Amino acid sequence: MSLLSDTSGGSRLQQRWDLLRELTVRELKIRYKRSYLGIGWSLLNPLSQLLIFSFLFGTVVPLNIPHYTAFVFTGVLAWSWFSSALTGSTAAIGANTELVRRPGFPVSVLPLLTVASNGIHYVLALPVLLLFAYVDSGGMGLSVTALPLVMIVQFVLTLGLVYLTSAAFVYFRDVQHLLLIFVMLGFYMTPVFYRANNAPEEIQFLYTYNPMAVLLEAYREILIQHRWPDFSDLAAVLVFGLAACAAGYAFFNRAILQLVDDL
Amino acid sequence: MSEPAIIVRGVGKQFRKPGVDRPSTFKEAVLKGFRNMKQERFWGLKDVSFTVPHGRVVGVIGRNGAGKSTLLRLIGGVGKPEEGSIEARGRIGALLDLGAGMTSDLTGRENVMIGGVIAGMTTEEVRARFDDIVAFAELEEFIDSPIRMYSSGMRMRLAFAVAAHIDPDILLIDEVLAVGDVAFQKKCIDRIAEFKKAGCTIFLVSHDPEQIHALCDELILLRKGRMVAMGPTAEVMSQYEASFTASDVEPDPELVSPVRTEDGTVLEYNVNRFGSQKAQIHDVVLMDLDYGPTYEIASGEGLMIEFSYTASPEVLSPKASISIVAADETVVYDTNTSVGGLDLPHGEHTGRLQLVIERLDLAEGEYFITVALFDETWSEAYDMHAGAYYLSVTGVGTGKGVLNPPATWDVKINGGESLNEQKARYLDTQG
Repeated sequence: MSLLSDTSGGSRLQQRWDLLRELTVRELKIRYKRSYLGIGWSLLNPLSQLLIFSFLFGTVVPLNIPHYTAFVFTGVLAWSWFSSALTGSTAAIGANTELVRRPGFPVSVLPLLTVASNGIHYVLALPVLLLFAYVDSGGMGLSVTALPLVMIVQFVLTLGLVYLTSAAFVYFRDVQHLLLIFVMLGFYMTPVFYRANNAPEEIQFLYTYNPMAVLLEAYREILIQHRWPDFSDLAAVLVFGLAACAAGYAFFNRAILQLVDDL
Repeated sequence: MSEPAIIVRGVGKQFRKPGVDRPSTFKEAVLKGFRNMKQERFWGLKDVSFTVPHGRVVGVIGRNGAGKSTLLRLIGGVGKPEEGSIEARGRIGALLDLGAGMTSDLTGRENVMIGGVIAGMTTEEVRARFDDIVAFAELEEFIDSPIRMYSSGMRMRLAFAVAAHIDPDILLIDEVLAVGDVAFQKKCIDRIAEFKKAGCTIFLVSHDPEQIHALCDELILLRKGRMVAMGPTAEVMSQYEASFTASDVEPDPELVSPVRTEDGTVLEYNVNRFGSQKAQIHDVVLMDLDYGPTYEIASGEGLMIEFSYTASPEVLSPKASISIVAADETVVYDTNTSVGGLDLPHGEHTGRLQLVIERLDLAEGEYFITVALFDETWSEAYDMHAGAYYLSVTGVGTGKGVLNPPATWDVKINGGESLNEQKARYLDTQG
C-alpha cells in the first residue's frame, strides 16, 4: 500500500517478509502447542492416508502401479498442501478480521500466509518423501534438482486460487461449503492414488487441463522415474497460476474494501 | 508552516442501513434477484474536509456513532471513501484494537515479536527494542509465560507497550489510553507526549476530556458524520459540552431566539451560541482603557472587556472565561475567573464582569473573542458566545508570530560600538 511510501522499498519488503514469517510461525505454534507429538502430527495424517491407499489399492483392489508407496505418497502430500490451503483460505479471513481493520496492515498477506503455512507441512514431510522415493524406486536422479521449481509452480497456482476463493468468500459465505465439495471432487478427478493413463481416451482432457494433475505428473517423473519433468506443461501451469494471482489479487483487494465496510 | 501531514478533502463514506442485510448466500441472492443487492445506505461521514499540519495533535470528539472511528480508519487506509480523497503522508502507526493478534497460548516474548511485526516493524527492529518494550510494560518477570496466564490489564499493557515502540510519522489513537492502573495510564499519556515532542502528527479519538485537554492542540467535532467545528481544544470542547447539555436539557425557546449584539453580530443558538442558558451573557462591550467602546486597538494598547450576566436559581457559582482567537483559529489568549481568583455566588443573581488587559501585545490582525459562562466544575456550559466579538489590532506588520511585544534590535559590527551606543553618544553630544 502506498501508506508506507516513506520507508524505503527494501526495508518495506523486509518488513513484509518478517510479517509473513512471524505469522506463519504463529500458525504452526498455535496448531501444535500443548500437543505431545507437536509438528509430528502433520506427518501422521498423510502417513495414515498412505497406509489406507496401500492397503486398498495394493492389496484389496490391486492397481498394479509400480512403486505404489512412493507414487501415492507423492500424490497425497502435494494434494494435501493444495486442498488444505484452499479450504483454509476462507477461515484465514474470518479469523483475522481484527487485522483486516488495522491501519497499515497489508491484508493481501493473509492468503500468502495460508499457502505458506500449509506449505510448511509439505516441506517438513519432504525428507520422508525423498526417503520413500529413494528406497521404493531405487535411487534418485539429477532431476531432483527440479523439485523446488515444481513446488514454486504449485505455490503460485495455489496462491492464485486462494486469492480468488478468499475474495469470493467475502461476498458469499457459501463458498466455504462449495470449496469442501470442490476439493473432494478434485481429489477423485486428480490422479492422486491412481494413474491417469488407465482412464479411457474420451476423458483424458480432464487430466490434460487439470493443473494439479500436471503437477503430480511432474513430481512423479522426478521422484519415481528419475526423469526431467515436462517443462512446457509446467510453464503452462505457471502462466495459468500467475494469471489467477493477478486476477485474484485485484478481486481480493476489492473484496477487502467491502469486508471492511461490513465489519 | 511545513506541508500538511494529513489532507482530507470533501470525504463522504456510505454505510448500509443496519438491520437490512445484503444477501450473503447464493440462495438469498438468487431469491432476491441479483439486482436487488443494492440497498438503502446512509452517509456515515459527509463533506468532511480539513488539513493537519506536521507535528500537530488533533483530537476528534463527538457522540457515539458520529463517525469518529470511521474517520480514523479511513485516514489509516482502511476502507475507501465514496467521495473525496484522503492523503496521509508518512509511516502510519496505530494504537487501536490493542490485543488484536495476541495469542493466548504463546508467551509474552512471542507475542511481542508478532505484535511488533503486525504493527509494522521488522523483526530486527523489534529485537532492538525488545527490552524497552518489556520494561515499559513492566512485565520482565512474566515475559516467558504464556499470556493466557496474564490478567487483562497485563495483556493490555503488553499490547500498548509494543504499539508504543514503533516510530511513525502519523499516529492514530482510538480510545486506548485507558489501559491499566492510574500510574500506567500516566505513562501512556507521557509516551504520547513524547511522540508529540518528536514531531509525530497525532490523530486521536477519546472520550476523556482530561486527556483531550492534556494532549490535543486542536479538536474536530463531528455530529452525525458531519464536521461541526474544528478549532482550538478549549473552544471546541466547550462547544461540544455545551451542545451536549443543551440537548439533554432543551433551553427555553424564548431564551435562545436570535439576538443582535451592539456591534451588530447576530447571536444564533447552535451556530455561535451554545449552552443550557441557565445563566445568560448579555451586553458584551469591548473598550479601550478610557472606557471608550471600540473594536479596534493599536498593538500594545490596553483592552477592557465587560459583560453582564443573569443567573437563574439553579446556577452553581459560575465561572466565566474569555478567549481571544486569531483568524486561523489559534487561541492567542485564554483566561477565566478562577485563574483570576474571582468567586461568583450561587443561585439567582445578576452581575457585571470586567476584564482589564493592561496591554495587549498582539501582532497586527483580526481577532475574535469568545465569552462563556460555565458551572463551577466546568462540566456544563451555561452560555457561550463563540467567536462572536470582533477585534482588530493595528500596527506594523511583524512577520509570522502572534505576539508583538516592545522589542529593539541592536548590532555590533566587527566588535566595535553597537548601533544603540552610537545613537546614545550622538544624542549626548547634541544635548
